[in-house]
Amino acid sequence: MLTKRQNLMETIKGGNPDRFVNQYEYLDIILEAPLRTRPQRGETITNEWGITLSWPEDQMGPFPIHDDAHRVIKDITKWRDVIQCPTVDFSDEQWAPAIAHAKAVDREDKFVTVFFASGTFEMTHFLMGMEDALMGLYEEPEHMHDLIDFLTDYELRYAEKVIERLKPDALFHHDDWGSQIASFMSPDMFKEFFVEPYKKVYKFWKDNGVELIVHHSDSYAANLVPDMIDMGIDIWQGVMTTNNTPELIQKYGGQISFMGEIDSGPLDHPDWDAKTIAQHVEKACTTCGKHYFIPCLTQGLNLSSFPGVYDAATEAINQMSKKIF
Amino acid sequence: MSKIEEVKANVEAGKTKLVPGLVQEALDEGHSAMDILEVMVDGMGVVGDKFSSGSIFVPEMLIAAKAMSKGVEVLKPYLAGEGSTSLGTCIIGTVQGDLHDIGKNLVAMMVESAGFDMVDLGVDVSAEKFITAIKENKAVKLVACSGLLSTTMPALKETVAALKNCGLEGFKVMVGGAPVTQEFATQIGADAYAPDAGSAAVKAKALVTAA
Repeated sequence: MLTKRQNLMETIKGGNPDRFVNQYEYLDIILEAPLRTRPQRGETITNEWGITLSWPEDQMGPFPIHDDAHRVIKDITKWRDVIQCPTVDFSDEQWAPAIAHAKAVDREDKFVTVFFASGTFEMTHFLMGMEDALMGLYEEPEHMHDLIDFLTDYELRYAEKVIERLKPDALFHHDDWGSQIASFMSPDMFKEFFVEPYKKVYKFWKDNGVELIVHHSDSYAANLVPDMIDMGIDIWQGVMTTNNTPELIQKYGGQISFMGEIDSGPLDHPDWDAKTIAQHVEKACTTCGKHYFIPCLTQGLNLSSFPGVYDAATEAINQMSKKIF
Repeated sequence: MSKIEEVKANVEAGKTKLVPGLVQEALDEGHSAMDILEVMVDGMGVVGDKFSSGSIFVPEMLIAAKAMSKGVEVLKPYLAGEGSTSLGTCIIGTVQGDLHDIGKNLVAMMVESAGFDMVDLGVDVSAEKFITAIKENKAVKLVACSGLLSTTMPALKETVAALKNCGLEGFKVMVGGAPVTQEFATQIGADAYAPDAGSAAVKAKALVTAA
């Protein structure tokens, strides 16, 4: 039996996997690594970037607040005057839990994985709101380029520190680039603003020992796949059924792999049932096949919003492995 | 290309800096404010159709809406003398329990561009708040309810039921959001469903003009 790591590599290289890669099993994500403050459920906080985030009790996650009193950047032409860039220098004490976790991972079996969120595009709209961020790309492209370079530079400096401390094997990087039915911007605009900065960042991670770049965008983004390949992404996590994943595998398999196809939205809710999850898993596994595909809920971590859903998907994938392999 | 055609083309292209000047020039040439407004609304209709078909994306739609809004600013003093130009008031909000506002904001922008006066209640809006807004605003012709999470679909159902049973009349109810389908909209008794912001504007206009 192949290790989880070996099985992943066989899957994404089109070799001989002996089962489906089961969701996030191949990644050991070091969530203890210091990065930035996130609110807990019920809290409203202002993080190191000055972004106010609120997580109401009845919601599944935090939301940035973008009213006039809370938006960090109100005028993109003056972003340098208002932005505060967090430090990437954390103490030994702050790193200790992450280092201990990374040391405990059997790297033959799993990839020691750094988690990085939010990505460059998300940061632009966290700082100024979606409408301003997207209109800024048209109205003030030079300032937007400068801001994106600034955010990229921050990530590079952070990457340097993490690499020094944890020597990660993989990066799990969040940046949502679309809604469920369309990318937020055209491929041309995406190329103009985001491809080169991402190429730079992902190259840095890879030049410094990271073997695997897993990028999360639980959205439609089929039209951006050639750019994802260009950026150096190995696995697109969060690929939704709206993307026609089987067709993407046929077209781009070997250059990039696809992780998802089990949409969290219709499955991860209080009245979830294992039978429906199994049906979705079966469809995903039979239509996408053994190569360049990892069946996974589209959620951006190895968990579900409602207890039991993630495990039910895991069990259904195990059953499909028995059936298909 | 005539000046009024130029206004339309520049709204479609999202030329926020050019549109106000072109609108003024069209007025100076003797075009009525109503005619200019009409071509801008038509221009936004083209933008909405292109968005629905996937040939343009959110930034292009936002920038076109902004260009139109700048043109309307120039027209406002002239429109005041030409009687009401509004299709009525549209109350919009994301239903209770849901804090997502990006899609709702896009719909508000496009429905406004189609000729409605908008009252945006924001996110996490209870059925009672929708009903109060109908009572407090004049000429409410449309209530648009948005929900992104599958977990808030029951809230969408409850909101539509409350709106239909509140005893108030003269408005239609439109629903939308990622998990919403035409089938669900019909099942919960909504008058219309729109899958995206472009078609929301078309549906909104059709609902009101057919009423």
